Amino acid sequence: MSAWEKLAALPREIVLTIVLIAMIVPAIRPFGLPIMVGKMSKDWYNTVDSLPEGSIVLFDIGFGSGGYPTLGPCAVAALHQMFEKHLKIVIMATALEGSMMYPLIMEKVKPEKNYGAEYGKDYVFLGYIAGEQTAMAAVLGDIHTAVKEDYYGTPIEQIPLLQEITGPESFALVAYLTTSGGIAEGWVYQAYSRYKLPVVGGFLSMMTPSLKPYYDAGALKGILDGIKGAADMEYMTRHPGDAMRATDILSATQTIVLIFIVIGNISYWGSRLSKREGEK
Amino acid sequence: MSEVVRKYIPLLITFIVGVIAVLDFYTTVPAIRGTFTVLKNWGIVVTAFALGVGAVNLFKVHGKRIAERGELWPLSGWLLFMLIVFVVVGLSTGKFDASWQYKWIYNAIMLPLGATMYSSLCFYMAIGAYKALRIRNIDSLFLFLTAIFVVLGNTPMFPAAFPGFFYAREWIFKTIISGAYRGIRIGVGIGAVVLGIRTILGLERGYLGRA
Repeated sequence: MSAWEKLAALPREIVLTIVLIAMIVPAIRPFGLPIMVGKMSKDWYNTVDSLPEGSIVLFDIGFGSGGYPTLGPCAVAALHQMFEKHLKIVIMATALEGSMMYPLIMEKVKPEKNYGAEYGKDYVFLGYIAGEQTAMAAVLGDIHTAVKEDYYGTPIEQIPLLQEITGPESFALVAYLTTSGGIAEGWVYQAYSRYKLPVVGGFLSMMTPSLKPYYDAGALKGILDGIKGAADMEYMTRHPGDAMRATDILSATQTIVLIFIVIGNISYWGSRLSKREGEK
Repeated sequence: MSEVVRKYIPLLITFIVGVIAVLDFYTTVPAIRGTFTVLKNWGIVVTAFALGVGAVNLFKVHGKRIAERGELWPLSGWLLFMLIVFVVVGLSTGKFDASWQYKWIYNAIMLPLGATMYSSLCFYMAIGAYKALRIRNIDSLFLFLTAIFVVLGNTPMFPAAFPGFFYAREWIFKTIISGAYRGIRIGVGIGAVVLGIRTILGLERGYLGRA
């Protein structure tokens, strides 16, 4: 086996070990590499920023433990901005594990301590509502018949924020974060297509290409594109957190992957040309 | 079970519910709106109930595998054990997120496991990119160039240093990818409409099983 062929067939253990090192080093010692805020994230930020104080936002946690490393920081940064703007937030979960994500997110946002927000008046959590698009349609259509009590068992008649909601037009914005294609498209269908409500969505990066047509067509006002979108939000809201730390890991890892792609091609063409020369 | 119960009643229910859903979208008749609201709320209850049925089914499938000492039966045992642990701890140690015990087992077991499952994709993608993204012909050259520009535009430090990478990625997304996906979406949309009409009319009966 020639040197080119050896380089073209590096054992996967070596490749993966180098990728792992590229992850660990910036995690231990962040480089502080710069980031450029993307347009889709800016649009999410500006859409929320343009809402008048006191507007009601429907915020959906559509992810579980698998999506938490990416979408958890998105949720934290997005909620920081909403509480800072004194928006009123109705939080629900269309993902089964969403109810378990809620305390993890709120432990970081700390709305009472940081923004003087009051549960029930400024924000409320409805818990998991089964049925994905059925749940979305039911909550937007008539929240008072779809939900009888909040996550903590308080009847919704006793929750002042929910008394302000008379129909879908009460929501100034629908914001959601999800790892599920069904939920991602569902909100576009149920909130934008049905009621023409402004909608912003956050997804895993691998989902963004399939959902970007909705953004280009104006159905989604903004997108948070994976951990990069979360880092953009943390930067814009001036709440640096896990995502900004993770961008160094992303930069290092993807650079290594790029280097391996280049190595793979150089070695492939090197071995092909050397074979051709050998045949001559 | 008679054919009426297995076949005609479900078809009739589907027809009525489907027509109400369509009418709700296109009309503002209060009676239809009210009826559809009730149906949507039933949908939530039925889906939630299906979760319970799913749990029962898990016991059935994995219980059988344990009893027969089937392949990897200890893992089935572990699955059912953890299912019971989560249910017992969840129901017995306090309400909702007030239970530190439930929060602890979730945060110590489910959260890292779930995160690991997704994160491990990174390694597959790295090895896949190294092995597969090789310029073997003109098609793979286009794939290679697209991949390189998308990765360069997606890696936070490159667009920060050279904004051109960001705009190149944007162009690829907006022009090539969105164009292709738009076509797919329109096709899927038309297909969904046709499927919906066929289901309402009882011509599509796959959801009835073998009825």
